[in-house]
Amino acid sequence: MRLTSANTAIVLDSTADLPDAADRFASWRVVPLYVRFGDESLRDGVDIDAAEFYERLRAESVFPTTSQPTPGDFLACYRELGAYERILSLHVSARVSGTFASAEAAASELGDGRVRAIDTETASAAIGMLALAIQRRLERGTSDEEVDAFVERYRRERGLLFTVDTLEFLARGGRIGKAAAFAGTLLHVKPILSIRDGEVVPVKRVRGERKAFAELAAALETETRDEPSFRLAVAHAAAPERAAELEALVGERRPHAELELVVTLGAVIGAHAGPGTLALFWFRDDE
Amino acid sequence: MSAEGDLELVRGLVGAALASLEASRSRIDDLNVYPVPDGDTGTNLTLTVRAVAETVASAEAGDRPALAHAVARSALMGARGNSGVILSQIVRGVADVLAEATNGIGPPLAARALRGASDAAYRAVRRPVEGTMLSVIRELAEEAERRAVEPQPLGDLLVELVRHGDEAVARTPEQLDVLREAGVVDAGGAGLVELLRGLAGAVTGETVSAAPAAVASPGPDAIHLEQSRYRYCTVFVVEGDALDRDELEAQLDAFGDSLVVVGDEAALKVHVHTDDPGAALSLGTAVGTIEGVEIANMHEQQEQRKRRLSLVPSTRAKSGVVAVVAGEGNRRLFETLAEPVGTIRVVAGGQIANPSTAELVAALEALEADEAIILPNNPNVRLAAEHAAEQLEWRPAEIVPTESIPAGLAALVAYDGTRGAAENAAEMAGAAAAVATGEVTRASRDVELNGLAIRSGDWLGLADGEAVAGGDDFADVTFGVVTRLLAQPRALLTLLTGAEPPPLDGLLERLAAAYPELEVEVHEGGQPHYPLLLGAE
Repeated sequence: MRLTSANTAIVLDSTADLPDAADRFASWRVVPLYVRFGDESLRDGVDIDAAEFYERLRAESVFPTTSQPTPGDFLACYRELGAYERILSLHVSARVSGTFASAEAAASELGDGRVRAIDTETASAAIGMLALAIQRRLERGTSDEEVDAFVERYRRERGLLFTVDTLEFLARGGRIGKAAAFAGTLLHVKPILSIRDGEVVPVKRVRGERKAFAELAAALETETRDEPSFRLAVAHAAAPERAAELEALVGERRPHAELELVVTLGAVIGAHAGPGTLALFWFRDDE
Repeated sequence: MSAEGDLELVRGLVGAALASLEASRSRIDDLNVYPVPDGDTGTNLTLTVRAVAETVASAEAGDRPALAHAVARSALMGARGNSGVILSQIVRGVADVLAEATNGIGPPLAARALRGASDAAYRAVRRPVEGTMLSVIRELAEEAERRAVEPQPLGDLLVELVRHGDEAVARTPEQLDVLREAGVVDAGGAGLVELLRGLAGAVTGETVSAAPAAVASPGPDAIHLEQSRYRYCTVFVVEGDALDRDELEAQLDAFGDSLVVVGDEAALKVHVHTDDPGAALSLGTAVGTIEGVEIANMHEQQEQRKRRLSLVPSTRAKSGVVAVVAGEGNRRLFETLAEPVGTIRVVAGGQIANPSTAELVAALEALEADEAIILPNNPNVRLAAEHAAEQLEWRPAEIVPTESIPAGLAALVAYDGTRGAAENAAEMAGAAAAVATGEVTRASRDVELNGLAIRSGDWLGLADGEAVAGGDDFADVTFGVVTRLLAQPRALLTLLTGAEPPPLDGLLERLAAAYPELEVEVHEGGQPHYPLLLGAE
């Protein structure tokens, strides 16, 4: 089957941190995860936006938890996209969330084979960049096989580096994985982390915010080139100054590369990374 | 049975299953370490079953296939979390089989339903893992098939299955390493058995005894994930004649959070997190007699849970560090930096008190690692370090020639115990080389420095071993040292205060004003002779 932007829809979940996805393309939708403060359950990006979330995180003593969309949530979204012959449902790494499992359950419940749920094995802006790259292929016409091969390449080649203020949030949410060893010392060690095979992994530790920033800057120098085929993204959690600094650095050092997205980590990813998180994403795509 | 009868029966069964699960909800949350240790399995399963309960509560009587379909669908639509999604498939498997039944439900049909549930659950998971809800439902199906050949009442079979399920859950740590390491049983499997316990109770009309404490619960270590601001988890049962659940709940509400009051007029079970368990119990004794009182200190429990959830495998480090360090505070800094990523032995000593070669050899030999890295942290210790390394025949030892405590700390940030000594040494030497070190001490005699006379007892400032400032004002002298250290742009300045604490008043403000971009960290080092050590990197 030939997939085009007219017959193929893209469904993201809110961990892609693109709350305006449906405004970008008429064929895009976002299914929200849930963030819970005590018994209050809120839809990420719908009932609570990033700014409100970080404000509540600061103000309240209760620690938020998150939960994946129900299969019913996905089913409703897929039904709404009934006019499309193919739905590509792109989701946060199944190693850290059951979101993909919910999407798959809904896809099989629908039973018409229209939906292909994809485990992106990554999170946040890296999902958005993947969606944009797939959309570019849909505009010119593509196929399921080509999308599969492309997703496989994306999983291997996309780069991402992030630093968090503290590992406490990752640890509390249970998403810390192998990075646990970097946790808590007296010397304010800043972990430099990545996501590999769908899991958060430690890359390096440095002391101090400036040095953590310098690691992201170094990755920009060594991992990317100043060419239009290099696509970049910046994400942050309640750290607009740092994000602006990184964005300025990208503009200065990589003026010809494509800075595709600058996003704020929404409530769900923010609840697991914590305020102060800063991330750089890169991927080379000639299309 | 009539359509109305079917609906009533299903309502009763779902209600009983839900109540059983709700009672264990927080225990199951606490067990949750797999697949993601986020402590919400009990909550997710409860929310999923609640969705079913709400659907059947408002459903209209219809034929069996329609009712089965409604139940399966509501479980799917309301499924929360991974465990909820798997449960929804289990419900679907059961519903599909029972939908075809034309008469009452006996053991053979129950066995077929469980088999259908097990198959549906396995189909839903791409890479099935043993030691989870999946193996528990499969073992239940197998046991049901074994027992169903004997004629018996359905209730008897269900009771036997609950027992078997408890055993299956108890075995999950043997099947899944993550569970064994965390010292828990599988949360999803435990939830599944609680549901079954509720069903068995509803069918037999008798409470099916809870699992042995050692199996089902961490017992007195019962732990809570909730980040409650209250200290005590308080649980008790009130027995009386005409207990008013709503009223008791309203009264308890003022005392804390995580409040759950369940039961009937004759007995209410209370769960509340509070700072005043006595007051909560008094509310119970005011309306009836209380028993089954459990009060647990959650702050303690949270610490325990944290420890259990730190699933870093405690494997032997490939390389370890021996560091020569003066001062208790500095020792602690070295240890907290190294221990999370490997292992370290600190030997006390430094400028004046150089450790002997024998002391270093003893530390190297005690190191629980295959290879060793030595941080002398002082030029005078280097020779002893070299001799010690030569005497170690069976263990490769690398020396990273750090000349100061701040340089040693910078080197240690780059240490990773999973790497070999040589690889570490290269990285660590690079990190240490990027540090400029300063010291502020007292002049032990009158000296002449750059035309400035420094009297014995005055402050003397050194940058990378060279005297650069002196005088009777600590802040001035230190500022002179910092100016030298920051001749090249630096991001971070670490100040380690000595056993004789330096007068830091005014210095930090002055630094912040002069170097607004610089991050400054102050730690108690406790080293003798040097009231202040500085590292700029």
